Amino acid sequence: MRKSKSLINNLDWPLFLGFITLIVFGLITIYSVAFNEDHPSLFSFSEKYGKQVIWICIALFLGVMVFLIDSDIYKKFALPIYLTTMSLLVVVLFMPPINGARAWLGIGSMGIQPAEFAKISTALLLSKYISALNMKQLNSTNIFLALLILLIPMVLILLQPDAGTFVVFTAFFFVLYREGLTFDPFLLNFVNLIPKVRFKQTWLGTHFIPILFVFVFLSIITLLFGEKNIPVIPGVKLYGSFGIITSLFLLAGISSFFVQRFGLKRARSKAQLIIILCFILGSGVSLIVEKSFGSLAQHQKDRIELFLGLKEDPNGKDYNRYRAMAAVGSGGLVGKGYKNASVSSVRTNHVPESETDFIFCPFAEEWGFLGSLLLVSLYMFIIVRIFIVAERQRSQFNRIYAYSVGMFFFYHFAVNIGMNIGFAPVIGIPLPFFSYGGSSMLSFSIMVFILLKLDSQRRHVLR
Amino acid sequence: MNVENRRYVIIAFIITVGVMYTFRLFYMQVIDDSWSNRAHKISEKRREITPPRAVIYDRNQTKIVANKTYFNLMVIEDKMGENFDTLGFAKLIGWTTEEIHDRFAEIVKGEGIYHNKHNNTRVSNYQKIRPYPFLKELTKEEMARIAPRLDAYPGFFEEETSMRYYPYPNAANILGYLSEVNAKEVKSDVFYKPSYNIGRAGIEHYYEKELRGLKGVHYVVRSALNNDVKKYENGIYDTVAQQAPPIQLGLDIDLQAYGERLMQNKKGCIVAIEPKSGEILTMVSAPSFDPNLLVGRKNVSKYYPKLINDENKPLFPRPTQAEYPPGSIFKLVQSLVGLQEGVIKPNTGFPCNKSLVGCHNHPAPNSIARAVQYSCNPYFYYAVKKVIQQGKEQSKFKDAALGLDLWERYMQSFGFGKKLNSDLTGLRSGIIPNTKFYNKWYGKNRWAFSTIRSIAIGQGEVKMTPLHMANLAVIMANRGWYYDPHFAKKIGAEPLLAFQKNTTMIDKKHFEPVISGMWRVVNEDAGTARRAQIEGIDVCGKTGTVQNPHGEDHSVFIAFAPKENPQIAIAVIVENAGFGGTWAAPIASLMIEKYLQNTCSSPEKESRVLKANLMGQ
Repeated sequence: MRKSKSLINNLDWPLFLGFITLIVFGLITIYSVAFNEDHPSLFSFSEKYGKQVIWICIALFLGVMVFLIDSDIYKKFALPIYLTTMSLLVVVLFMPPINGARAWLGIGSMGIQPAEFAKISTALLLSKYISALNMKQLNSTNIFLALLILLIPMVLILLQPDAGTFVVFTAFFFVLYREGLTFDPFLLNFVNLIPKVRFKQTWLGTHFIPILFVFVFLSIITLLFGEKNIPVIPGVKLYGSFGIITSLFLLAGISSFFVQRFGLKRARSKAQLIIILCFILGSGVSLIVEKSFGSLAQHQKDRIELFLGLKEDPNGKDYNRYRAMAAVGSGGLVGKGYKNASVSSVRTNHVPESETDFIFCPFAEEWGFLGSLLLVSLYMFIIVRIFIVAERQRSQFNRIYAYSVGMFFFYHFAVNIGMNIGFAPVIGIPLPFFSYGGSSMLSFSIMVFILLKLDSQRRHVLR
Repeated sequence: MNVENRRYVIIAFIITVGVMYTFRLFYMQVIDDSWSNRAHKISEKRREITPPRAVIYDRNQTKIVANKTYFNLMVIEDKMGENFDTLGFAKLIGWTTEEIHDRFAEIVKGEGIYHNKHNNTRVSNYQKIRPYPFLKELTKEEMARIAPRLDAYPGFFEEETSMRYYPYPNAANILGYLSEVNAKEVKSDVFYKPSYNIGRAGIEHYYEKELRGLKGVHYVVRSALNNDVKKYENGIYDTVAQQAPPIQLGLDIDLQAYGERLMQNKKGCIVAIEPKSGEILTMVSAPSFDPNLLVGRKNVSKYYPKLINDENKPLFPRPTQAEYPPGSIFKLVQSLVGLQEGVIKPNTGFPCNKSLVGCHNHPAPNSIARAVQYSCNPYFYYAVKKVIQQGKEQSKFKDAALGLDLWERYMQSFGFGKKLNSDLTGLRSGIIPNTKFYNKWYGKNRWAFSTIRSIAIGQGEVKMTPLHMANLAVIMANRGWYYDPHFAKKIGAEPLLAFQKNTTMIDKKHFEPVISGMWRVVNEDAGTARRAQIEGIDVCGKTGTVQNPHGEDHSVFIAFAPKENPQIAIAVIVENAGFGGTWAAPIASLMIEKYLQNTCSSPEKESRVLKANLMGQ
C-alpha cells in the first residue's frame, strides 16, 4: 500500500502523460489511415487499429510488470541481458530474410526484432560499465571496452542489414560525449612519441565526438552544395567545396574579430589558433570529400545522391520520399481534416508504409502545420524532459541510461520526421509510440518504463 | 574541462533541430504550395464526363441524327497477370496471337515518347497501370459475344461510348460528320481532349457548340493503382454532364430522301426552300452517300479514302460551293431590273434578232411574259442594254460603267455575288462582275455594253451557286424579299435571331408580269418546261441551259409553287444533262408534288427520271 502510494508520488507524471498523449495521437492516426468501412470499430482486431490496441495493452501490461520488479536487477543483470540479446542477434542472422533483411525472430506475424531489444540491453550494460569508470583516469582498455560494447551490436545489426537501427546506435556517442569520455589515452600514445612533447590532454581527444559529427556534417553539406543549383550563400554563385571554404573563411574572420574585440586577453591567442585550425581542418575535409566523391563511379554517386536527396526520381528510388513530402506539404495550415488524407491513406496507398515508418505523413496531411507543430513540440518536450530527468539522477548509471533513452527518442524523431520533410535519408525507423507495429511499441515501452522506474527509485541510492 | 556544461550543448543542439524542423514544416505546408500541387497531381483526378451530342430532328419531328451506344474493350496491362491466356483471348476476339502483340505495340507507339530534357532520357508515355482501348467501337452485338467470357481474361473490361447514328441514309452533305480533334483544336479550346470528336462539316460543324452540351466534372481521389477510391470532398465540386437540347431543322427528311433518289446516277443538286421562312427543305448534292459511312474510326478509315477519291466527288458540297453560270434563269432578274428602272414596260416587245445573239425558234416576244416564256436571248440583249447604257454620260464607256454600278447594286440586293448569311459553312459567293472587274480585265473606259453583253443572258462571267439560284426562286415566290436561307428551325427553347429578312430593290408590282411568264414556261404549250406541269398545282418556273465548255450543257430549272401563297421554291441543276426542260424541270415538279401533296400523279415521269443515268460522260 505504502509502496504503491510512493510510486504515484514518485512517478514523473509529465513524462508519463507525454507518452500516453503520443500513444493516443498515434492510435487516432492509425485509425484514420487504415480505416475500413466494413469494420468501423476501433476494436476490430482484424484491422490494424484493432491490433495496435492489443499492442498498447500488452505494452501497458509490460510497463506494470517492469514497475513490480526492483530496479536493482537492471544493473545487476546488465551483462547477462546484454549477452542474451547479442546471441539473439547472432541467431537472427540464420533466419530466412523478410523484405531483404534477416531481422525477424519467430514465426509468421508473431515475430520480434532482437535489434529493438539490443538497444535496451546495450544501454544498460554501457551505463553499468561507464558508471564504474573514473573519468579522470581513463586508460586505453577502458575506452576500447566501452566502444566494444557498442560495436558488437552495431556490426551484428549491419550484417542483417538494418541501416536504420545502425544509425540509431550512433546516439550512444552523444551519451559518451555527455559523460566526458575522452579519446586522449589513445591519442596521447601517438602524440607523446614526438620528442619533447608530453601532453596530459589533447584538444582532439577531448572533443573527439563533436569533431566527428562536424566532420560528417561538413561532408554532407559539401555534397549537398556540390549540386550546381544550390549556392552555399544565397545569391552568391559559389558552389561545392569552394563555396564552403569561402563561407568558412568568412565565419573564421568574423569569429576572429569577435575574439580579438571581446575575448579575454589571456585566452585570445589560443582562441585565434583554434579558429585557424578549425578553418584549415574544415576546408581540408570539404575539399577531400568533394574530390573523393568526384572519383567515385557513377552508380555509386547516384546512390549517394539519392540517399542525400540530391536527386529527384519520383517514380523510382525516390518514390516514397517524393510522395511523403507531397502528402506533408499538402496539409496546409490546418490540414485536410480527420480521415481526409487523400495522398497518404492506406486506401489510396500513394505513400507506402504510411501506417508505420511514414505515419507522420497522414498526421501532417490531416492536421496541417498546426498539428505538425503540436507533434514536434510534444516530442521536444518529451526529449528535453528526459534530459531533465537524467540530470536529476543521483546515480551515474541512471543518468547514462536516461541519456541513452533521450537520445534514442531524438534519433527516431529526427530521422523519421526528417525523411518526411527531406531533411533525412529514407531509412526505415518508426516514430516512437506513434507508428503501427508491435516490436517498436514494446521495446520503447520497456525502455521508458525502466526509466520511469529508475527515476521513481532515484532517492534509494542515498540509502 | 567542465563536462557538466555539455548537457547544455546537447539540449541546445536538440532544440535547434526542433526549431529547424518547425520552420521547414511551416515552409512546406504553409508557404510553398509546390508540394501541395504535386499531391493534387498524385492523388486526385479530374474526370470529365462528356454528354452525348444533341439529337437533331427534321421539320416534322422525325429524328434524323441520334446516338448509338458502342463499346470499347479496354485493357490495363498491369492487371493481366502472369498467366494470361493469350491464345484463348485471341480465339475469343477472332485474332491471332501475333495480331494481339501487334495491337499492344501499336497502343504503346500511339502514346508517344516523353523526352526528359534534364537527364536526356526518353520514356514512353504508355503506363501499364492505365486503361487503354484495345478494341474500339464494338457494337452491342459484338460486345455481347465477348462480354460473358471476359472474366477469364483479367485486365480487360468493357466501356460504353456513344457515337452518331443516322436513321436515314440521307442528307450526309447537310449534316456533316465528326472526326477526332487535331492538336490545334485541343490547344485552342479547353473543351477538347485528344481523341474527342468534333463536327467536321455541315450542321455538326456549324452548331458544334450548340450540339456538344455541357461537360460534367467529377473529382475523385485516386489510388496508386489508379482506381477511384472515393469522391473528392464528397463530391461538392462535381457537376453533372448535360446533353444539349435537341436541334430542329427546317429540313424535310422524306423530301430529302426522295430528292436523293431522283438524283441517283446523276451529278448535280436540288435546293428547296420554304419561301416565307427561308428554311431549307431539301439540299441534295448528287452523288450522295450514307452519313453512317463516316461514323467511327473504323468506318472513316474504310470509306473516307473511297469517297475522297471518287471521281464524281460525292464529298464536294455542290449546292453551296459549285459555281455555275446561271444561264437563262438570270433573265428573270434582268426583266425585274429593267422594269424597276423603267427602261421597259410589261408590254414592251423586242424583235428576236438572232444576229445579235443566238436563239431558238419561237414566236415573237411581244411582252415581258412572252420573253420569259420563250427565253428569248435577243430580247434580253435589248433590255439589259437599256439598263446599262442609260445615256446619262456622253461617253458610252463612262455610261456603261455607271450603268454597271447600278446593276451591281441590284444584284447585291438579290444576294448575288456575295456569301449568303446562313448556317452552312464554306459558302461561295459566286461572281457578279462589276466595273472594277472589267476595268482590270479591259482597262478603264475601254469597255461598254457590247463588250460585256453575255451577262444579259447569264453566261460569261456571271456565276452563282445553286443556293443562290434557289434563293432567286424564293425572291420570285415572295415577290421581292427573302429570308437568309438556313437549316435550323429551333435550338432548344431559344428563338433563332441570326437570320434576317432581306428586301430587294424591286417593287412588288413589277413581279407579276415576270411571274406570269414563269407560269407560262410551265403551263403553256410554247413554254420551255412543260415537263414540269402538275395537275392541279400552278407551278411557275424558268429553265436554264448552262453552257459547259467541258462537255454536255448543264440542265437548270428553278420554280416555285403554288403561284399564289407559294409553299416551296426550288432549284435543280443536273450536270451534263443538256436542255433545262429535259431533266431539271421534271425533277423539280416531282419534288414540288411530293412536298405539297405527298403524291406522284405521273409515275411515268418518275420512272423516266429514276432510270436515267447521266453520269456517263
